[in-house]
Order: sequence, then C-alpha cells, then structure tokens
Amino acid sequence: MRLFRKVGNTLHILSFPGEDVEKGGYLLIEDMKAKKAMIAQVIDIQFANVPGVMEELLRSPDVEDQVQGDDVDPFGIMSQILYIQDARLLVCKIYGTIVNNGFFSDNNWLPSRTDSKIRKLSTESLMKLAGITKGLPIDLGETQDAAPMIIDACELDGRLNIITGKKGTGKSHLSKILVLGLIEHGATVVILDLNGEYTNLGLAADGTKNKHHEKIRVLTPAQNFKVTLYKTNLYVVMRLLTNALNLPGASAREFRSIWKFLEQNGTLTLHELGGAIKRWKCNQHVRDAMQSRYYAILHSGFFTDNMAEALDFEAVLTETDKKGGGAIVINLKDMAPSDRKMVVEYVLAKLQEILSQWKLRAVFLFAEEAHLYLRETYWDDIVTRMRHFGLFTTFITNQPNTIHENIYRQADNIFLLNFVNEHDLQAISRAARADAETAISIVRDLPPHYCLVLGQVVKDFPIVVKIRPLNIKTMGQTRYFFLKEREKR
Amino acid sequence: MLHGVEIPQRLIELSQKSMHTVKGRFLQPYWTESFESLAETAQESPPVSINSRALSTLITPLTPVRDGTPIIGIDTSTIKIGETEAGIIWAVRAAVVWGNNRGYRYLRLGPLPFHITEENKHAFFGGSVDHTFLNATSFSSVSAETQGRLCNLIERWIQASVSHSVSESIILWDGSLTAGTPGNPVSQISHILEAARKNRNAILAFSKTTTIRSLGWRITDFATRYEPPCLFEVADLPLSTSRRIHLLGRIYAANLSRGGRSFRLDIDRTLSREQGIEAVERLLGNELMFQGYPETLRLAHIYSTFTANDVIGIQSFLKREYGLKIINRRSIRKALFGPYGTRYED
Repeated sequence: MRLFRKVGNTLHILSFPGEDVEKGGYLLIEDMKAKKAMIAQVIDIQFANVPGVMEELLRSPDVEDQVQGDDVDPFGIMSQILYIQDARLLVCKIYGTIVNNGFFSDNNWLPSRTDSKIRKLSTESLMKLAGITKGLPIDLGETQDAAPMIIDACELDGRLNIITGKKGTGKSHLSKILVLGLIEHGATVVILDLNGEYTNLGLAADGTKNKHHEKIRVLTPAQNFKVTLYKTNLYVVMRLLTNALNLPGASAREFRSIWKFLEQNGTLTLHELGGAIKRWKCNQHVRDAMQSRYYAILHSGFFTDNMAEALDFEAVLTETDKKGGGAIVINLKDMAPSDRKMVVEYVLAKLQEILSQWKLRAVFLFAEEAHLYLRETYWDDIVTRMRHFGLFTTFITNQPNTIHENIYRQADNIFLLNFVNEHDLQAISRAARADAETAISIVRDLPPHYCLVLGQVVKDFPIVVKIRPLNIKTMGQTRYFFLKEREKR
Repeated sequence: MLHGVEIPQRLIELSQKSMHTVKGRFLQPYWTESFESLAETAQESPPVSINSRALSTLITPLTPVRDGTPIIGIDTSTIKIGETEAGIIWAVRAAVVWGNNRGYRYLRLGPLPFHITEENKHAFFGGSVDHTFLNATSFSSVSAETQGRLCNLIERWIQASVSHSVSESIILWDGSLTAGTPGNPVSQISHILEAARKNRNAILAFSKTTTIRSLGWRITDFATRYEPPCLFEVADLPLSTSRRIHLLGRIYAANLSRGGRSFRLDIDRTLSREQGIEAVERLLGNELMFQGYPETLRLAHIYSTFTANDVIGIQSFLKREYGLKIINRRSIRKALFGPYGTRYED
C-alpha cells in the first residue's frame, strides 16, 4: 500500500491486488522518520484512476466478443499490466494519531509518502488503543478480522440508542442480543414489541426453555395484561385520554371532575364510570366526547373491574428489579392502533411515575417502530426529561426518517445495518456521532447481519460487526402463499 | 491459421541481453500524464517527397470479389518507457489479425523491452539483422530514429514470418513499400515480397498519410472526388527517387468505401497491374472496410498500440525485475519556461 493523497481528514491510499483490505477495516500509517502513526478507516474502495485503462478494457476481448486472440508474452509483462489495472484506491477517514504509544485525535500532520509504512490495524489493537472496555460484556459477534466484538453494557447505561437498517437485515436480532446482554447483567428491560417478535426470548430454537426463561415475562394487553381504574393514577388516565385518545381540553376537565367524584365515593370502576358520564350534567358535546373515549377504553379490553384478572404493572417492574433484572415484553401484536397507543401511553406514564418516585433505579426501554404508537411530543420527552428519570431508550426501526432529527443528534450509540435507499442514507447521515460519509459509504455495502457500530460503545471508532447467531425460537416467521415452492428451492 | 508465427528466439535474447545492462540503474520514467499527447509512435511510411507530373487517366473502378480469400493485417508499435543514465528503454509489440468465422482472431507478440545505449547499439542492431539495412554508423544518437528502427526490426520479422507461413492470402501492411530508408533495407523488403509471391500471397501496404502530390494536390485528395470503390494509379513515378530510396510498390490512391477516406496504397510492383487490382477487389469482397480502411489492419493497430496503462505496467515490471530506481528529473525546459510551450512535455 502506498500513501497517495490527503485532503482534509480523508486519506487516499493506493493498494494492489493481494493486499486484502476491506471496507470498514482500519489501517495504521506509520511514518518511521516522524515516529508517529495515523489511524484511518477504509470507507470506500475504488479502482485507481490508472491512465489508459479505458482503452485497455475496450480492446480486451470478453468471451462473447467477435475478436479473440492469443498473446505471446515471453517476459510475462502482461500479468504486471493486468495487476496495475486492478490497482485500487482506498478512501480512508483519519481518526487520530499515535505518538509514544498514546492516542491523540490530531489529524493535522502529513505522513511521508516515502517513509511511511501502511499496514492493517487489527480490531483488537484498535480496541486497546481506543480504550474500548469490556467491563460488563455483551458479545455482539465478531469483527471483520474475526476478533470477538464485545461491548460494555455500561456504555448503554444512561444512553440513547438507535438500531436501524432495512427490512430483513437483522435489527430485531441485534436488539435481542442487547436485551439479553442487559438482563444478564441485572438490568430491567421493557420492550414495546410491535410484532410479537420478542415473545419467545425465553425459549431456545427447539422450543425448550433457555437460561433466560425465568427472566422473560410477556404481557399481552387484554389477555394477561389488564389493569383496573382503581389502581390507575388519575395522572396516568389523563395522559392516556389526552395523548392516546385525543380528548379535548374542556371534556378532559369534566372527566377529571367525574373521576374525583367516583374516587371520593370509592366507586372507581369501569361500570360506574360509564354511568357517571351518562348522568353527569354537562354540555352534550362534552358528554359525547367523554362517552366515545369511555367506549374506546371499554372495548380495548385493557381495563377491567375484576381485581382477580388485573395486573399490577408497578409490582411486576419492582419484582423484576428485585430478582436481578429481566425483560418485560409488551406484546402489541394484532392490536388496533388506538388500543396500542393507549397501552403504550399507560406503560410510559407508569414508568415515569415509578422512576420519578425512585421505586426503580432505571429501566431500559426497547421500542420497535416507535412512530406507530408514540405521540409527537414524546420524542422530545425522551431526549430531555425521560433520560433524567432513568428511562434509557433504544429505538429500532427500518424507516430511519421516522425518527426525529434531534434523536439522531443526541443518540449516544447507533447500530446501523444495511440501507441502499438514498433517502434512508441521508436520514442516518444526520447522526452527530458519525461522519456522514463514513456511515453512508459503509452501510450501503453491509451484508445482512453485519452492523456498523457507532458511538460510545466503540469510543467513536466505527466498527463493522458480524452479529452472532442466537439460539432463540423465532416468532416472526413470514407467512407465504407459495410455501411448498419455496421449500423446494 | 498462422502456424509458425512467433517471436524469434534471437529477438528475445537480444531483449534480455540489452535489459541486463539496466540492472540497478536509475530510471527516469516516461510520464504518463502527458499521454494525451502520446503520439502515434508506430512507424509511418518514411517521408519521401515525390512530385508526379500527372495522375494516370485510368481511374480503375473496383468490383468486390467474394471468394473467401484470407485477409491478414500486421502492425507494430514501439514506445519509450524511460531513460537510464546510459540509454533509453523502449518496448515493442506486434499484432497480427485475421478473419475467423465471421469474427477476428489476433496474435499479439510482446511487449519486448530493449535498453539501447551508445555502447550496445552497434552490437545490438549489427548482430540482429543484416548490416545493409541497419547501418550502425547511422546511429548518431539514441533517438527517435532508434525507435523507428526497432519497430521495423520486429515488424519485418513478423511480416517475413507471415509471408512464409500463409498462402493464397492478402497480407496488409501498415505503411508503404518504400525501401532504402533507415530500417527499411531494399534487400530485406524484396526478400519478404518474394516469399509472399512464392506462396501466392499479395502484399498491400496502406499509408494513412502521404507526401506524394500531383499538380500541388495531395494524391489522396483526388481520389475522394470519385465514386468508390476505385483506385488511381500514380503514373510516371520513378523506380527510385535517389540512390538509396527504392519504390518497391506500385502506388495508388485508394478510395474504397462510400463516406470513407482515401489512402495511399502500395501494391507489390512485381505483380502485374491486373493481379494487383484483383488483389484489391478480393480485399473488398472479403473484408470489412471501416472508413475506407481494412478492419484487420485497424484491429492490428489497436492491438499493438501501447496504452498508458501498458507503460505503467512495463515500468513497474522493469522496476521489480531489474531493480531499477525510479527518479523524477524535471525537464529543464519546464523548469525554465513553465507552461509556455511545454504543456505536453514530460
């Protein structure tokens, strides 16, 4: 490899066939005279602009050509000419400098073209140099040079994370690895599971219980997840009515009065609430508004008057925490959008309530396709208030443009899987922790189950990881009409 | 088809022998940035200035004869690879192209590198070919003339080899049948023409440029005015224009296809006029003409020509193989004059 050019924080390096360099890999440019070394990541591999290649290719026959022939080349020079034709230009981003074994983020020097030696920098060495620790290890898989990629769970603690990639690239799979890693270290995780993909986290691929089984609790609203009005705080119900069911302000005020009336009388039940709305002296429009929301609540099946079938969500959370962590999967599969919003609003309000009262230290929230159930204003809550309460969110989506720009800007860790669509690539380029060119160039060519990790967990050295397989029963098996034909293939 | 056409062992040995003299030397490479101006370095017909008093009144219209006669095109190129302290390194490549089942086949020979110095040039050329055609004393310096001679050296070898190995074919050369100029000895070209005739081959030589004029007009300009395909014979040309220069071909201006260009065409003078014209008619019937130029010859040129990529590859090969140290000595003209008048200089 030969150093060719430096423009800003970009290096261009000439590489020849046989020098096995991959996109995403790191190089060390050691200037022997200056006794310094530059660390750079390969973000693109192009053909070197060798003069005359176009003419060479135009006259080289391919199999179908009408012109075929033989070369008598007694010196074997043609092999060298072909070798030059395949010369590559490595476009690299500079990440810093090593002087006296210490790392500095200094890019303002030029390594010598003649005195520099360029070699691959192993991920293991990079991790050592960057100080990527393995305190509470979560095994993500392996790097391009087959080194184990282990991140520190502490780097997810108190952080805002994003997992994004196009459909079928392994987002949920990676998310499950993070969830299981966190609960192994005693964390409490709440998962808003849109497609019921996490419901089998406690089962191995063969359907038997795995080691996480006792730590996974699946709550399906209207089935094993029902709540009573009695156990629900007015604040939670009001958030649910106004945010999820869009109850107007005037109606909300009347509803608050009814709620307090029933609370005082000790008759805070669904049945009594329905009757009270009917009898309450108020404007007919207000009554209609309250009644329609009442029926929405009633028909969701999420609320019940039967104390025996009701679940104390707060107790579930605190118990999980006491038992040394675990995952609570809120199974939102097959739910009507309004019911889904209601459940999510309830869960988030409850979490905020519990966390603000310090009944729990912190909760890791994993939210799949959050734009389908999160209200507009909640995005800002996440990056401002909720983090301070101890709710650390990881968003998982295949539509990166649905995540608000401020989330990208404030995200501490970003796990990028493959994208090819230009709009999607532009969306992810907004992430403050990533160099846009690096992210776009590498992510575009990632194969399925490969991920570009950016942010705190890798100390801002983007690393490509091949995500390890998980022995977990998959739930989200795609339904096909031509199933037999597919099996034959 | 072309059995026996190969690079003579002697040439390979010459190349190797000359290249042994470069080991460990410095090489000032021929810079490829200026390849836009990388001129046609394959040899052209030597500039022979002849002023004909008149064109023949005989305009010969041609009728293509499709009889399956094989058409074979030969071309050779040389290029300067760089300079050492002692001399210049050149590379030579030849290409032979012929029709094959509605397509074409080529045989490409080379590249062969040669390091030519003041010290080895006598032994080099003197030992490789007969002394009459490569007179060492005419090498006043290692120059562009060397390049032409080197190119001819290989080309004549290939032409002779093809003339011996094929029969009843039309062999196309790039250039003319003018002999007696440096690198074009009369005896050698005559010998090749004779070998071709023995095998019932006809040699047609196409020149892309010509200096022959009649009444102040270039002969090829006349030909374009008449309905193609046709030939104009340049009449009353002497057999030799000086004691050294010999015209071994009958010279025509050939306009061979509609919308195409006219070229100087030399046909072996030993063939009868009728045989020569018949050869051109068989060429027309059995060959694709591109802008009035035979496709096999066009392809031979394309396959022999050096691209910038070739030059870099050869430089890199020589560096690796002979331990050459690449240096960049800046042109004194560029240093003095900057971009003025030196834009295409290396």
